[in-house]
Amino acid sequence: MTNTMIHVEGLVKKYGNMTAVNGVEFEVKAGEVFGLLGPNGAGKTTTIEMLVGLRKPDSGTATLSGYDIRRQIDQVKEVIGIQLQSTSLFELLTVQEIMHMYASFYPSHVSIPQLIDDMLLTEKKKDRIKGLSGGQKQRLAIALAIIHDPDIIFLDEPTTGLDPQARRTLWDIIETLKSKGKTIVLSTHYMDEAHVLCDRIGIMDQGELIALDTPSRLVKELHSDSAIEFTLPIGEDDTFLHHLQRVTQVTNRDEAYVIYTDDLQLTLIDLIQHSKENNLSLQDLQTRTATLEDVFIHMTGRSLRE
Amino acid sequence: MKAYWQLTLTQLRIFARNRQVLFFTLLFPIILMLTLGSFLGNSGGTSITMAVVDHDGSPESEQLLSTFDKNEAIQLDQRTDVEEALDELKESDYQVVMEIPEGYGEQLQVHTDESQAFELPVYYNETDATASELGLTVVNAAIDQVSKNIEDYSPAVAVQAEGVRALDLGYIDFLVPGIVAMMIMNNNMNGVAGQISAWRERGILRRMQGTRLKASTFIAGQITARVILNALQALLVLIVASLLFNVQVNGSWLALLTFVILGTLAFMAIGFIIAGLAKNPESAGPIAGFASFPMLFLGGVFFPINNMPEYLQPIVHILPISHLSTALRETMNVGIPFFDLWQHWLTLAAWLVVAFFIASRTFKWE
Repeated sequence: MTNTMIHVEGLVKKYGNMTAVNGVEFEVKAGEVFGLLGPNGAGKTTTIEMLVGLRKPDSGTATLSGYDIRRQIDQVKEVIGIQLQSTSLFELLTVQEIMHMYASFYPSHVSIPQLIDDMLLTEKKKDRIKGLSGGQKQRLAIALAIIHDPDIIFLDEPTTGLDPQARRTLWDIIETLKSKGKTIVLSTHYMDEAHVLCDRIGIMDQGELIALDTPSRLVKELHSDSAIEFTLPIGEDDTFLHHLQRVTQVTNRDEAYVIYTDDLQLTLIDLIQHSKENNLSLQDLQTRTATLEDVFIHMTGRSLRE
Repeated sequence: MKAYWQLTLTQLRIFARNRQVLFFTLLFPIILMLTLGSFLGNSGGTSITMAVVDHDGSPESEQLLSTFDKNEAIQLDQRTDVEEALDELKESDYQVVMEIPEGYGEQLQVHTDESQAFELPVYYNETDATASELGLTVVNAAIDQVSKNIEDYSPAVAVQAEGVRALDLGYIDFLVPGIVAMMIMNNNMNGVAGQISAWRERGILRRMQGTRLKASTFIAGQITARVILNALQALLVLIVASLLFNVQVNGSWLALLTFVILGTLAFMAIGFIIAGLAKNPESAGPIAGFASFPMLFLGGVFFPINNMPEYLQPIVHILPISHLSTALRETMNVGIPFFDLWQHWLTLAAWLVVAFFIASRTFKWE
């Protein structure tokens, strides 16, 4: 039997006239990795900051491991570990020193040498934070988040700005945490990351949670397995695209088109025949399977990285 | 408790590793002391140069002259021509010129209780108010002494001549406590305001807010580390001062240390308020400057508070730096016992309490 670790109820946060988070609700079960996916400014960070007690919600609430974030913030802080977006630390301290400092903020903590080993920082333990690479700093930030062995871990865009190899290393660390039974809330704007790491994903856009499901079911809900990408010269009449066989959706940005289909072969043949008959020049033609990015475009009509 | 020690240790490590800051916060007061001390120190801050033109030449006028001569604060020149002496006064070679008119000795011999006081013309340069005022004060004190001695002849009035404490103090003795006070103000008020607002901007405080750490523990750690650092810095400046300039500490070191700590706490609290007011680290500097600059000039750091214009006196007397510099000075120069300086430590303590109250209300993690 799995129990609910996080229960979020109608969270709202307003900054002046702007509603940053508008009635977000979700649940996360113990041992689950929950992803918040969305473009910058979608409200992911604000949602996480309200959950960890750094911002007061204007309305709504949440319970973490049974503790209410509005009334029992001290207990909440003991069961959660946080890694904030672009964590900044005392640059003149060494890795070891900052770990001892953060450890001292809690009644109990894990073995620091062991944690340094786990986070692959053994060689850097006596180095100052100033001299660490981006990936090492992020691993240190995660180490500080889990120094008191919390049940719930919040990671706000842990891999943003890292090179591919450093991202992979971080993914391994997150997988290890999951295998230890930690509940993880992760925000990201990388689809591949969400797909690989998360059990369930909430897609956020303009302060609202617009979809919530497992990655594979989210993609399946598109009812289109594949996408065909190509460019058409500007000014070309594109209405014919909607009438191609088995097409489910047509999107374009200037001359770059993406059409979705639940039968790649039929649609592709139809497309090529049509362009041959009408003497159209299709360029950069390629096909691929649909991804979470396509789910987002399907739901909002916009790309994640816009 | 563990967190408190860790935070204190962290701040001390940051101090020790930030060589540049450490170097300049220490170097600045010492360089200031060396430069000001070596070109002003020898002339002696309280010494004035005066010219006396004696038209009388009686034993009584000789006696008056020797009184001035014995006073270490006065450098005496005997002149014969008043006009010449006055010209030099205008060029600021003299602070004061005094004439002893003919008949001075005679008048003193026939002096009774009823007779009017003999008037000695004293000239001073109105454009150089500070020096003239100092000169007039010193001359007045000497004349006062003479007339008291004379009145002692009259049995009707019993004058108790008070012993004036003879202290051999130069400008450097005046300067060093002021520099220590200035250092405490700069390091704490400006230092705290800059550091805390920078940490806030960079999200360092925010990350700590996400832990079980309490604001009071954080602030306590800051205070402890800064008190330790300031005590060491003050000690170092005092050691340099006493080795190079023979600056004396006449009072108790414990009292001195207590004032260093009180000053550190009061200025830190003000620094925390500024950190709370400043919207970003860039504005913390100018705000702290706005607060510290007037204090530097009004608060008796470089110039005696008495030299300040009358209308500024009420302001000067509530500034924390005035009380800190005066208390340090009285402890070091004169050796006044700690409890006789109650006015100063009470004012500093009041600043401390009020400022910490405001700071705790306005402190923001982000």
